[in-house]
Amino acid sequence: MEKNLFSFIWKFSARQQIFILLITVLSYPVTYILLELPKLIVNDAVQGDGFPRAVLSVELDQISYLVFLCFSFLGLVILSNGLKLYINIYKGRLGERMLRRLRFELFQRVLRFRLPHFRKISSGEIIPMITSEVEDVGGFIGEAFALPAYQGGMLVVQLGFIFMQDPLLGLAAVSSYPIQGYIIPKLQKKVVLLSRMRVKNVRLIADKVGESITGVPEIHANDASAWHSADLSDRLYENFKIRYEIFNRKFFIKFLNNFMNQLTPFFFYLIGGYLVIEGDLSIGALLAVIAAYKDLAGPWKELLAYYQMTADVSVKYQTVVENFDPADIYPVERLVEDASQELKGDIVLGNVTFSGGAAGQEVFDASLTIPEGRSYAIAGPDGSGRAEVLQLAAGLVSPSSGRVEIGGVNLDKLSESTLGREIAYVGGAVHIWTGTIRDNLYYGLRHRPLAKVERHGEELADYQRRISEAHETKNPTYDLAAHWEDYAAAGVSGPDELDEKALSLLTAVGLDADIYRLGLQSRFDPTMDDELADRILSVRGTLAERIAGDPNLANLVELWNQNNFNASATLAENLFFAVPTDPEVGMDNIPDMPEVKTFLSDTGLDAKLQEIGLKIAETMVELFANVSGDSGLLGTYSFINQEDLPEFDRIVRVARSGNQRPGLSASDKSRLVALAFKLVPARHRLGIATDELKSEIITARRQFLDSVVGSSKNFVAIDPNTYLPPLTIEDNLLFGRARVDRRDARQRIDQVIRSMVEEMNLREPIMYAGFDYHVGVAGSRLSAGQRRRLALVRALLKNARITILDDVATGLNDEDKALREALRKLLAGRTFLFGAPNEELGAEFDAYALFDQGRVSSTHRNQA
Amino acid sequence: MTLEAEVEALRRVPLFRGIDETKLRLLAFISDRTEYQQGERLCSQGEPGDSAFIILKGKADVLVNTPEGEKTVAQVGENNIVGEIAILCDVPRTASLIASTEMDVLTVSKDDFLKLLKEFPDISLEVMRTLALRLERTTRDLAAAQK
Repeated sequence: MEKNLFSFIWKFSARQQIFILLITVLSYPVTYILLELPKLIVNDAVQGDGFPRAVLSVELDQISYLVFLCFSFLGLVILSNGLKLYINIYKGRLGERMLRRLRFELFQRVLRFRLPHFRKISSGEIIPMITSEVEDVGGFIGEAFALPAYQGGMLVVQLGFIFMQDPLLGLAAVSSYPIQGYIIPKLQKKVVLLSRMRVKNVRLIADKVGESITGVPEIHANDASAWHSADLSDRLYENFKIRYEIFNRKFFIKFLNNFMNQLTPFFFYLIGGYLVIEGDLSIGALLAVIAAYKDLAGPWKELLAYYQMTADVSVKYQTVVENFDPADIYPVERLVEDASQELKGDIVLGNVTFSGGAAGQEVFDASLTIPEGRSYAIAGPDGSGRAEVLQLAAGLVSPSSGRVEIGGVNLDKLSESTLGREIAYVGGAVHIWTGTIRDNLYYGLRHRPLAKVERHGEELADYQRRISEAHETKNPTYDLAAHWEDYAAAGVSGPDELDEKALSLLTAVGLDADIYRLGLQSRFDPTMDDELADRILSVRGTLAERIAGDPNLANLVELWNQNNFNASATLAENLFFAVPTDPEVGMDNIPDMPEVKTFLSDTGLDAKLQEIGLKIAETMVELFANVSGDSGLLGTYSFINQEDLPEFDRIVRVARSGNQRPGLSASDKSRLVALAFKLVPARHRLGIATDELKSEIITARRQFLDSVVGSSKNFVAIDPNTYLPPLTIEDNLLFGRARVDRRDARQRIDQVIRSMVEEMNLREPIMYAGFDYHVGVAGSRLSAGQRRRLALVRALLKNARITILDDVATGLNDEDKALREALRKLLAGRTFLFGAPNEELGAEFDAYALFDQGRVSSTHRNQA
Repeated sequence: MTLEAEVEALRRVPLFRGIDETKLRLLAFISDRTEYQQGERLCSQGEPGDSAFIILKGKADVLVNTPEGEKTVAQVGENNIVGEIAILCDVPRTASLIASTEMDVLTVSKDDFLKLLKEFPDISLEVMRTLALRLERTTRDLAAAQK
């Protein structure tokens, strides 16, 4: 990678730089004429004589001449500013493109680092390098060549003018330049060093912050926040110190420069004055020289600022780039190569030595042959070199000496397109990507975009632009929207079969029950799959029939009925008999939805609901006023939490004081309505839901259905014959609420639902719905065991010739044993390399090798 | 039936007699109100007890296990509290309860009751007083029986 900023800029934008320079030079005469014209207008057109004038062989009288000059002026104003606009946008675009190129190059280099290199760098340092640190480079690139050329040219012209007037004065004008040219770089050098320190210090701060976030449970568990605070504060002080030093020097340079610039006129007046008095120089010439010198200051200042900026940006560039050039970086072909070859044959490790950089991460002179198509265990405790050998066999790390070959092909020479497709590897620490379960399952099949996306019209134009920009900046042209899943590699013909295969593998590793549960809890869009929605509706119907036929069941649930009040549901559900389309809309936001607001005020329900809310608030304040927050009573039973209690206390006091002013604010009223909405009459026996209120709510419900639900997209009516997308599949199956005043009603009805789902063969589709469950940031919404099993299925789905597992299901319990058995069965006939810390497992495999302290201590072959 | 009615029922329970109204309301509010069908089981002998039942409406049979199977030994009705020992200490249920009519029951769970005791020590004092009175009476009865 280009170590120097200017060689980077010149290499990738020489043509554009020359173009910018050309336009800049072109704009110079325009600017010059623009400055000259007003003088001409005043002196010649307004005050001049001898009209008419001949302009381009046309005779013009004074007025026409004035008009002509003024319009020329206007034309030049437009031209000059237009040029400026054009060149600025051009420079900005060039800067952005170069920045994109640089950032992508840096990211790609990160992907090319060898695995052991990641032990030495942290994401907290790398992220600011790629994002913020190179930001300034983008702004600089457009100016890199044009500014010095333009301003330097100006300077030379002005200096030439002075020298032409009088060589001695010319010398006086440049007399300070050598001194400035000597001192300023010296001072600047120190500033550059300081900026480097600053950049590194800020990186360290970013790293410390990042580490504190990842390790926050440890901080709290060890009461180490004081230590971390002190540590960070120390770094911040360091930053302040460096910054302060930089200011001092930077402004001193400025001071020195200004001083020198103003020192020169001193010589002018002294020497020039003397020359004029002696009669060697005319007074007019001296004044012209002084005026020219004033014009010198502008370009000189610009050049100095440019110099400082160059120094600053170059050092930033270098400080970033030097981190991305490790000597052993993989060639870029390893990433971008698309052709893959088949890895057939035995895995052979020949005198392999490897060091991960620390004790216990080494392999010494290991030789091993893992026969093709067999199951083979590598046993050895952590630190025995087991994990390293498995990574060597997967081609993830390269030996420092010796060879790792599969079927005679050296893995070190292969590209990822071969290694990542022919070998499936699951290590001890798995990573689950933020996204859905489906994304994670099929992750191992997304190597390249496979089919082109049909685009038309504007979409196509937008796509073409994206591609051409990618070409401009040497970014990849892979289409993110394309189809990436490689069905053929997974051994299936299409998406349905792939889903089926994934499901069977999930079942094999024992993740099916979890996925089913997630599926029941998930929401799905019925427009994506009408059939499933219909089947859920038919289960709902059958369930309703069964409930109606069995008094024991009927007692457990309260089904939705448009003409009845459902005491086990909230007041809001009863009133609206609809659910918000957006499941994220909570009860607290509903009163503020515009359609709800209008409806409540139109029907006069708002006052009533506020009164109910007030009553609830009053009771809650009365009941819980003396309860301490840590008892847990408040959180469990009240619908007001501890923090909100004083707020409601205030609302109650204001409302009951009888004063009209200040009265309750609109947000207070919304809170009261929200509180009323949360009331579940069967649970909160506050005596509020009287028969009168119930019938009133049922009447209002119909109004709401007519006036709001019919027209608003924000609500979906509760209707026995439609699927309600905002509710979970489970809630859609049971068209009602488990009664809160029956013991264990929820569990008992769940059991009924489960058995019905099984009966009606709905289990599978619900599991497919579970595929769309969002696993949270890095799989945080899954348990560690679930994450591991998911990664296992991801590897199995790749259908690779060679499967390497390390520290997966290595327990001696029955569950892990069954899983190993299942894995061996699934991978029968393929090479299956299994790493385990305990030797006992070796007997389960065709053969095994024992590792100890980085060496093969023995190999065994089991009789089949 | 509303909270007020439940408070009334609680007030008739000797264990809660001395507790003031607002705290009884709190106790009622945090308790679960449950309906039982005729023949439904409230609890079974031998299982760990974790709640007391205050019968608001209906009747229940009290059954104990005998070599010949379960046998009804008593009946409890409205405003009776059953299983209150379970919310003070860990003992298995000494009998089974089966609803003999439709029932309306207030269930006070042990956890909640203990939380309440922690919150309001004066309730504990009242409960202690009631228990002490009971103990004293039992001792007296025992002495009378030995004579």
